Amino acid sequence: MEYEKNAKGMVFDIQRFSVHDGPGIRSIVFLKGCPLSCHWCSNPESQRPEKQIMFISHNCIGCGRCTRACPTGALTFNPSFSLDHEKCQRCGRCVDVCFSNALNMSGEIQTVEQVLQELKKDNLHYRRSGGGITLSGGEPLFQPNFARELLKGCKAKGWHTAIETTGFAAASVLESILPWVDLILLDIKHMDGEKHRYYTGQPNQVILNNARIMGSYGTPIIIRVPVIPNVNDSIREIQDIAEFALSIKGVKELHLLPYHRLGENKYQYLGYNYKLKGIEPHNKESIRNLQKAVMEKGLACKIGG
Amino acid sequence: MNLTELLKIPEEKGDNCKMPAEFSQLSNSLPTQRIQKLIDDLYSVTPEIEAERAILLTESYKQTESYPTIIRRAMALDNILSKMTIVIRDNELIVGNLTTKPRASQIFPEFSNKWIVDEFDTLAKRTGDVFLISEDTKQSLREVFKYWDGKTTNELATELMFPETKAAMEAGVFTVGNYYFNGVGHISVDYAKVLAKGFNGIIAEAEEAIAKADKSEPDYIKKHQFLTAVIIAAKAAIKYAKRFAELARKLAAQTSDAQRQTELLQIAQNCEWVPANPARTFYEALQSFWFVQAIIQIESNGHSISPMRFDQYMYPYYKKDISEGRITQEQAQELLDCLWVKFNDVNKVRDEASTKAFGGYPMFQNLIVGGQTVDGVDATNELSFMCLEATAHTKLPQPSISIRVWNKTPDELMLKAAEVTRLGLGMPAYYNDEVIIPSLVHRGLSLADARDYGIIGCVEPQKGGKTEGWHDAAFFNTAKVLEITINNGMANGKQLGPKTGEFTSFTSFEQFMDAYREQMKYFVSLLVNADNCVDIAHGERAPLPFLSSMVDDCIAKGKSLQEGGAHYNFTGPQGVGIANVADSLMAIKKLVFEEKKVTLAELKEALDTNFGSCEAPKSGAKVNLNLNNLTQEALVEAITKLVLEANKASLEDLQKSANIKVDLGSNGDKEYLRQMLENRAPKFGNDIDEVDELAREVALIYCREVEKYTNPRGGRFQPGLYPVSANVPMGAVTGATPDGRKAGEPLADGVSPVSGRDKKGPTAAVNSVAKIDHHIASNGTLFNQKFHPSALAGQTGLENLSALVRGYFDQKGMHVQFNVVSRETLIDAQKNPDKYKNLVVRVAGYSAHFTSLDKSIQDDIIKRTEHSL
Ligand code: SF4
Ligand code: SF4
Repeated sequence: MEYEKNAKGMVFDIQRFSVHDGPGIRSIVFLKGCPLSCHWCSNPESQRPEKQIMFISHNCIGCGRCTRACPTGALTFNPSFSLDHEKCQRCGRCVDVCFSNALNMSGEIQTVEQVLQELKKDNLHYRRSGGGITLSGGEPLFQPNFARELLKGCKAKGWHTAIETTGFAAASVLESILPWVDLILLDIKHMDGEKHRYYTGQPNQVILNNARIMGSYGTPIIIRVPVIPNVNDSIREIQDIAEFALSIKGVKELHLLPYHRLGENKYQYLGYNYKLKGIEPHNKESIRNLQKAVMEKGLACKIGG
Repeated sequence: MNLTELLKIPEEKGDNCKMPAEFSQLSNSLPTQRIQKLIDDLYSVTPEIEAERAILLTESYKQTESYPTIIRRAMALDNILSKMTIVIRDNELIVGNLTTKPRASQIFPEFSNKWIVDEFDTLAKRTGDVFLISEDTKQSLREVFKYWDGKTTNELATELMFPETKAAMEAGVFTVGNYYFNGVGHISVDYAKVLAKGFNGIIAEAEEAIAKADKSEPDYIKKHQFLTAVIIAAKAAIKYAKRFAELARKLAAQTSDAQRQTELLQIAQNCEWVPANPARTFYEALQSFWFVQAIIQIESNGHSISPMRFDQYMYPYYKKDISEGRITQEQAQELLDCLWVKFNDVNKVRDEASTKAFGGYPMFQNLIVGGQTVDGVDATNELSFMCLEATAHTKLPQPSISIRVWNKTPDELMLKAAEVTRLGLGMPAYYNDEVIIPSLVHRGLSLADARDYGIIGCVEPQKGGKTEGWHDAAFFNTAKVLEITINNGMANGKQLGPKTGEFTSFTSFEQFMDAYREQMKYFVSLLVNADNCVDIAHGERAPLPFLSSMVDDCIAKGKSLQEGGAHYNFTGPQGVGIANVADSLMAIKKLVFEEKKVTLAELKEALDTNFGSCEAPKSGAKVNLNLNNLTQEALVEAITKLVLEANKASLEDLQKSANIKVDLGSNGDKEYLRQMLENRAPKFGNDIDEVDELAREVALIYCREVEKYTNPRGGRFQPGLYPVSANVPMGAVTGATPDGRKAGEPLADGVSPVSGRDKKGPTAAVNSVAKIDHHIASNGTLFNQKFHPSALAGQTGLENLSALVRGYFDQKGMHVQFNVVSRETLIDAQKNPDKYKNLVVRVAGYSAHFTSLDKSIQDDIIKRTEHSL
């Protein structure tokens, strides 16, 4: 199979031994950049398409070398760490001198071939476990050329492929990618267009339309719903999503992903504000009730990925 | 139960083995009430020290001064077994006690005894593994120990050792502590033979050997003595069993409980018949087995007496009973469960320092299921599953249960094993036939014997019933040798090794590697001297006729195990700290020679000052311990002090200044250098070829040196790469290393990556570790993996775990075991973050080191843990 080995993309992580995003043992390639900006996003560094500096304060030994290395004066330590995003040119010099990994650059341009080299390392584990590769993000469809060539490359090696997507993309982009995808993990956050726009920054119309397109391809689809307190956690809201899911061909299951705060410290690292501060995750009980509500509609439902 | 695990998650291996809530969902059946009662009774009292064995042993020794040693040993065993208090505990179906009280410990003064007197008054007060001791017991033991002054194996071994060997031990290069202070153990006898022939059969065999021997041969005299000793010991075992028959009848007559009366009469019938005669039923076979297991551990306190392939040699008895309708599967399971509880009645008192590393009274009775037959056919049977089920039922540390895996192991067995793994006991351990069989063949075993291997103690493969493997011969500190190389052969201000060049004079990485190789060569030769001295001491002072009677070819050769009677003889010392040495070499190679980011002089100064945190030249110099008189465990005591001292100066100050722009001066520079060493050179465990190949090379340097040597029993040395817990005390006596490890910090565990440095998850770690040549480390390698239960949730979790094991084994890894960390562990990790640096939590697309997370988020994860089970 032909694919463009040198196609380039912005990748911010490759996570091996992922067991919650598709069957078996998988590697997830995280592509940077997302058209949505969900308040609860657990990978805030995935949202912007360009490289970003992350500052992990508890790793800092206070040596001051970063400030001296910075050619633009974007970095100061007075009275505490601050990074002037206007001034920063993302040259990475500060990261180079920060041996304690307090400063990290999120995002790296990589070729399809480079990514495949890394993915190949777990080839044996994919085979043993019936696993494969999942493209996630950010939004993988946001870098359509790279995503497509990478998926083709994976198929050329005989791997099972999945994408985890918000579904927010031009239909033509989606259709150029679907032939190389074995499983779609489609996030649906809300059926109410207004609420969707408020919490994610985008309307849901495109997403719902794309869901129908995906269905027409016959590719298996798992609908994934991040369950967020006070956003979409009523029985009715979840059942609305379940009903929509049932109308899509190819949908076999719905997964409820309970809200967690594991991404919160990354907001700090990036100097962002965390909008959901203080919100308590659900207890087991209430998530179980939502699961029941989905199953009542006649759709298989799992908690967690 | 593997020791390393006991170390890492002590709270789960403690005394109170409560059944967790999730158990009932994971297990296929529930244990009977009897089992819970047995467990409750076993754990209802604090273990005690008992003097009975020591007294009876000494009493006999005093009467046999003029006899040959082997006869004296047999007569002493006879005296003990004839006179010791025997008990049948409530609800027991399998009987045979080592001590009067449950989980008590006898004393074995013939190996060493001075430390016991020293700790008389603290045994009951220490924080872990407490033993009560009465004033009477103390008095009796004091009396007994007088007799043993100068007569112990420990004293003879010390006498035999070369001064340079002792100096190397004192500096912490290696320790032979285990057998230096205790019995050897680490063996599996031919249980099948005892079950099939009984001790009467063994007596007949010995008598025949005497009859057949040529009286004019010069070695006839010693042969005759040995065989006579075997007969005395075997008869003593039979007598011991008959005492139980008598006791059972007596108790049966006294009880008013009709059901218990029937049980006791059955017990009486069993003990009357076995182990003297061939077992006729599954129940008799279990009883016969237990007598063997118990008496071996009365004869000597060497631990790791391993039942090995129990599902194989017990199967004919089980199958016959089932097919003849004599027993149901449920009844058989209950008997197995009873035996599993019994395994935990065996105990051993250790000195206080050791208990910090050996928390939870481990005995390492390794029992392995599955694998293949001598003909190379899959060996899995119903008992394989039932053994795993017994572990799930009892949820106790003993027996250490293991599983042999090969290409044809049925997935059902893998999934059953994964279920038990998920219980969080750290068991079963998984072993790879596809590596172990060829590696044993390479060591001279026949193919059939190699296919019949089992595991001793932690991870050591051997053919049971034919081998004196001396598997836990020593721990060798490969990182200390690196430190010595950096110091041109010096340690603690003394020239210990050859002069291989000033560190600052090396002009290429290869030059430095050559120097390291030369130092390794020298110190391994001293290690061999130490082991052989201890070996000879055991042969001269503590040959074991009972144990020898059940291992081939002792009877045929007319020689005890300790004098070379076994068919296969090995000595297996372990290399420790491979990952630290590999990471250090990588840092030197890359940062000094390739990128020239730091000079050798700068590096040396940073190491000498422990990265600026102390002025004293070396941490090793600060340890005021006589390593010559130290078990590998005893060093632990020094750790706390060392680690505290090592870290005191820098960290806190640095953290305080974290958010302020300051230059930290020269100490800050050294910390900065340390950060560079730690974070700017690849680390073993992340599937990076460059450094993984160095790890492979370091392991090979050690292994190839060790395998050159022979032992006094006529066998070869064979290397292992596992630490038990020695990575902690050995780290305590090792100065700062070029991988950024501070003085006193623990070394890496087995072939596992340095704790916390494998950042790319289990598959990357597995791939890295598999790059080491496991075939040559035929005394065993140990690889620990930790998991959060969320990664193993549901059926898919079990499948993924089993796929990971298979994936590791496809790449020729030898052993792996899993710590599945529970909610309780997470809570403990929150309180003691330093102990859990390596704990990675994975949820959806995000993973993090648990200890780096904010407390509130940790709380979240703790909550989520309940979700995932
Ligand atoms: S270089 Fe790194 S460690 Fe040093 S002050 Fe800057 S952020 Fe902190
Ligand atoms: S990336 Fe470059 S410009 Fe930005 S803060 Fe670092 S050194 Fe300065």
